[in-house]
Amino acid sequence: MSSLEVHNVVKRYGQTEVLTDINISIDDGEFLVLVGPSGCGKSTLLNIIAGLEPLSDGRIMIAGQQVNDIHPKDRDIAMVFQSYALYPNMTVRNNITFGLKMRKTPTADIAKALDQVAELLQITPLLDRKPSQLSGGQRQRVAMGRALVRDPKIFLFDEPLSNLDAKLRVEMRTEIKKLHQRLGATIVYVTHDQIEAMTLATRIAVMRDGLLQQFDTPQAIYDHPANTFVASFMGSPAMNLIPCALQEKEGQLHATLSGPEEGALTLKIAAPTQALKAQTGSSIILGLRPEAISDPLSISDAAGTAQHFSCVVDMTEPTGPDTLTVFSLGGIDVTARMDAKADVKPGQEFRFAIDLSKAVFFNEKTGLAI
Amino acid sequence: MAEARFTVVGDTSRRLSVGRWLLFAILGLFALYYLMPLYVMVSTSLKSLDDIRTGGLLTLPTDITFAPWIKAWDSACVGIQCDGLKGYFWNSVRLVIPAVLISTLIGALNGYVLTKWKFPGANLVFALLLFGCFIPFQVVLMPMARMLGLLGLAGTIPGLILVHVVYGIGFTTLFFRNYYITIPDELVKAATIDGAGFFAIFWRIILPLSAPIIVVTVIWQFTQIWNDFLFGVSFSAGGGQPITVALNNIVNSSTGVKEYNLDMASAIIAGLPTLFIYVVAGRYFIRGLTAGSVKG
Repeated sequence: MSSLEVHNVVKRYGQTEVLTDINISIDDGEFLVLVGPSGCGKSTLLNIIAGLEPLSDGRIMIAGQQVNDIHPKDRDIAMVFQSYALYPNMTVRNNITFGLKMRKTPTADIAKALDQVAELLQITPLLDRKPSQLSGGQRQRVAMGRALVRDPKIFLFDEPLSNLDAKLRVEMRTEIKKLHQRLGATIVYVTHDQIEAMTLATRIAVMRDGLLQQFDTPQAIYDHPANTFVASFMGSPAMNLIPCALQEKEGQLHATLSGPEEGALTLKIAAPTQALKAQTGSSIILGLRPEAISDPLSISDAAGTAQHFSCVVDMTEPTGPDTLTVFSLGGIDVTARMDAKADVKPGQEFRFAIDLSKAVFFNEKTGLAI
Repeated sequence: MAEARFTVVGDTSRRLSVGRWLLFAILGLFALYYLMPLYVMVSTSLKSLDDIRTGGLLTLPTDITFAPWIKAWDSACVGIQCDGLKGYFWNSVRLVIPAVLISTLIGALNGYVLTKWKFPGANLVFALLLFGCFIPFQVVLMPMARMLGLLGLAGTIPGLILVHVVYGIGFTTLFFRNYYITIPDELVKAATIDGAGFFAIFWRIILPLSAPIIVVTVIWQFTQIWNDFLFGVSFSAGGGQPITVALNNIVNSSTGVKEYNLDMASAIIAGLPTLFIYVVAGRYFIRGLTAGSVKG
């Protein structure tokens, strides 16, 4: 178990740059999730950390040691692949112990390590089967067993759950998290699923087009996305990004939304930052999580931050615990998260409460958070 | 996969309609047509010369005799030597086994490198190897003869093995390359991280997965090399010739009476090993040819 540092990593294929100046560093025992849409370079970065692909520039450090020119097998890492990549010709037992045998580990130690891992993952009854005789979830366990048995410095997971069905995926997600808590291992995990990223990570690196968009804790990424891409990519449903104008009235900063039928909706911004004040008079983007817009009962007015407005509801999506409500505001479809008990119906006007204390503001042109 | 059977509700094809009978009749006719030469060969080889002279081509032997078979194996005259086919049969065996094994192994290694250890220009190399498959035998005769001469292998069985290996690599590489491209690269990555090197991955992971394509390649190469006449007649001499050349010599060097029964027995002996290979491994052949087209 050890720390991982990625310094100024660049990867080029010919002229195309697929990774641009990536800087990430995590401590021993952290769970780093690389997340982004497909083609963002997250798997390439993982392969570079593993040593399966050379980097064009920069440095990879594992446990404080530069590993750029160290062969994958000597980096003391283990990897779990999306397709599991179990050796089809070998039994589960041999799949798990193959790495140890290749390293000429003494037989007694191999048997001991195998027993421990098989017990931990509850695959002891499967040890003499071939991968083709296993279900998807079992294959997943074996693939993890193959990584665990080596007790490496760092575990690398390449979209390990994306071949499982929805229910199994959630189960295995919980198990991976438990495993991380029990072992205290350092893990790098690639996924395109932002829920996996939020639930598993201690640190998230959001990537797009080979660029690191934001690197922070899950809560910080959720509450303070660095730009509109992160804001819309992380969180489900996505953050509402409403264009508005920033104006000052009576010494108070206001956001004016080209609003519903009756005209512009003006919202008071209670405690603006200096940076936001500097933008007075310009057009900005107001970022609001769906739970910041709701029925008046759900948003407490105790702090005096709630503001109210009425609007005609376009659509409702009951999810069980709450009802997602879509309506038009500021020229875009806005999603609000209501209590399931709220009496909201499509086509009818409803009085919403809005809480700007959790709002994020973005520059209209650059998309960066203000 | 090949065992899958479907019964569709209301499917009338299982009932024997007129069209169905017609189909079977035509198929049966074709089958007879294709079996005819074999029948003629087998029955003629079991006839005495008198029987051949008096009976027709298609009549069954009146008195079954194995004398032509024994003579073909033991004492038929190949050119001026009258020791039968046996020596040449073993020549072919000694030639075909190493040639098949070596060309298959090289093909497997080539396929492995061309798919799992891609290097710049790998596709060009593959294209050139593929091109080699389309070069007719006749074109390579002269350069090959020159090369064998330089190597001091002219007229020897090792020389002939080399010729067949070189000519076969294009095909074997093609087979293995197209098979290995269906094996996920992640297997190689996983094994690399597990600490296996180039050859360890090949021997312990890739090769054990290759059974179907090995069968295909072995059958293909065995048939090609065993049945080859042109390379055999061009690059071997005297007692070192393969059975196909000897067969030709038996048929052409008979003096006086034409011994059809001997010719037929010799031809069947020369053809038996390939027949044997197909019977033993035929079903793997079909399976291997279609492997990769359906994910298993």
